[in-house]
Amino acid sequence: MKFNTEDIDGIFIISDLPKILDASNAIEFKTDIAKILENRPKVVIDMSTVAFIDSAGCGAMIATLRMLKGMGGALKIFAVQKQVRSVFELVRMHKIIDILNTREEAVDSF
Amino acid sequence: MTKGFNEMISPEYHDEEIPSTILVVDDSRVVRTYLQSHLQKEGYVVSLAKDGKEALSMLSEDIGIVLLDLWMPEMDGMACLRHIRENYPDIPVIMITVSHEISNAVDAMKYGAFDYVTKPFNPNEILALVQQALKTRAQAQRLRRVEAELARARDHEISIATRIQQTLLLGGQPEELKGIKVGDLTIASKRIDGDFYDFFMVQDHCMDLIVGDVMGKGIPAALLGAAAKHHFMSVLYKLTRISGNTSLPRPEEIVLTVHDEMIGDMRELETFFTLCYARFDLYRKILSYVDCGHMRTIHFHSATNKCSLLQGVNMPLGFPGQDDFKEILIPFENGDHFFFYSDGLTEAKDTKDEFFGEERLLEFIQNNAHLEPQELCDITWKKIVDFSQSETFSDDFTCVAVKIDLPETEEKAEKSWKLETVNDLKELSRVRVFIQELCESLGQNAMDEERIKMVQIVATEITTNIIKHAYKGKKDKKILIEAMASDEEIVLYFYDWGIKFDFSTVPQPVFDGSKEDGFGLHIIAHTADYVRYSRDNTGKNCACVTFFLQRRA
Repeated sequence: MKFNTEDIDGIFIISDLPKILDASNAIEFKTDIAKILENRPKVVIDMSTVAFIDSAGCGAMIATLRMLKGMGGALKIFAVQKQVRSVFELVRMHKIIDILNTREEAVDSF
Repeated sequence: MTKGFNEMISPEYHDEEIPSTILVVDDSRVVRTYLQSHLQKEGYVVSLAKDGKEALSMLSEDIGIVLLDLWMPEMDGMACLRHIRENYPDIPVIMITVSHEISNAVDAMKYGAFDYVTKPFNPNEILALVQQALKTRAQAQRLRRVEAELARARDHEISIATRIQQTLLLGGQPEELKGIKVGDLTIASKRIDGDFYDFFMVQDHCMDLIVGDVMGKGIPAALLGAAAKHHFMSVLYKLTRISGNTSLPRPEEIVLTVHDEMIGDMRELETFFTLCYARFDLYRKILSYVDCGHMRTIHFHSATNKCSLLQGVNMPLGFPGQDDFKEILIPFENGDHFFFYSDGLTEAKDTKDEFFGEERLLEFIQNNAHLEPQELCDITWKKIVDFSQSETFSDDFTCVAVKIDLPETEEKAEKSWKLETVNDLKELSRVRVFIQELCESLGQNAMDEERIKMVQIVATEITTNIIKHAYKGKKDKKILIEAMASDEEIVLYFYDWGIKFDFSTVPQPVFDGSKEDGFGLHIIAHTADYVRYSRDNTGKNCACVTFFLQRRA
């Protein structure tokens, strides 16, 4: 899975996520993102491209969060679409992942 | 309560009239006349007998007390005492004995003699004993009268409670609901339990049934049962008519509202009641069930000829600290029976003190489920009477049987769709396209984009579950999705032929970020309006979900 990545003063920004994050690609997403996150504890994910997420997709996001926390880092996400937000709220992910409106807010929140 | 009983006791019983004739029984004429003269001097009427045999012939209710010599030729004092105790339990007997026979006199007291005196005796000692015995007798007699009065008052209370039960607690059978047949039976116990039930026709395809049992007995329990029924009626009315809701209030909402309205009073009265709230939705073939500590309802499945037990997780109403009640949804099929009952059935005892019990009841219902509901109630009563060999129980006997008896109808859905696919996660996007297209074809007002996405996520989760769990490790297996839509709702059926889905193996979701999986079912349950799962005899699994359309809500 290909992502766009950018490093701004030690904050790692990932964008260009797949449009759909479901059981068919969640494992691939989880492993591919884990590879590029080594030694990068401060991460921002741009969710604007994700139009649909399911429970497996949520699981992949939680795995990413846990990995970063294990490194003493943090995960911030922004530009979450409506369906994704509804599912996050259903499984209470909004309580464990910082969700911000814009890329600037997300970067500034570190 | 105590005050009420006292008021019912007539004043004439406060002073008991005790006959003052004293029967003196002694074989010695000297002793007889000696006692006669002393007692007559004090105003007592005295009768004399020379032995036990003669004494017995003279005994009557007019005798107030007996002075009885322990040793006599014709029937001794002991035998005579036993006879008096058996036939005239109220008459006190004072034994007369000589000093070397004291141990026998003590034995006599074990057999119910009031006291004894030893010869030679002091007349004052005898008089004091006689007075004391008469006073004790008067007290005992008064106690018995009071007890009789109490029993009368209790009977009176029971007759009032019975009337309350018959008129206020038991609901009449619903007049007409196509597709459902009902039977009921109540046999009041001697004490009245406060069992209650009622039926509410809430929609043309929906019947609500409440079955409850108030803790305690008698009038207080009966009145609380009546009050509870009234609360359910008014809450139903309030939540539907007054609030202007077009959709029905959920059973869990109704139970919570009644609980909130009644908790204050119940806490003050230190009581509670158990309850089943059951809504039979004939259109969706779903029982919505809120159980609050009631006996477990028996569900007979016509498809398998087997019974299962329904059990909720809620505490009885009146227990403090409850801020929500959980409702469970149970799918049913045509021909299924539901049997609701009070503890009077399972706690009926046989002559060896053994309970009839849930297991026996379950088996009995299973074997007799071919009967009509009313017959089923009646025959259950007969069975339990046979078992306990008694027609009177310590608890009320209440049962309600509901049989699903749907007429064969034409298909209600206006449109239907079908998608056949295989157990490959790559197919998930195809499933979503299928959902998208059929939802859009319902017209613009039916579902907005967000709602369609919610249907899509449920479809994704169910299909993923089938692939990952039902067809675990297998390839090229079929998944069939059918959809039907009416003006009111869209119903999706997901069929697979994999292993049976077992709810009990699904862990509760953890939301603290420590677990990456286990959210699928949670998402399904909180997104669809109705969910049910069944497996038929051929090993075909069906997960069925319903979504209401917007124009309905």
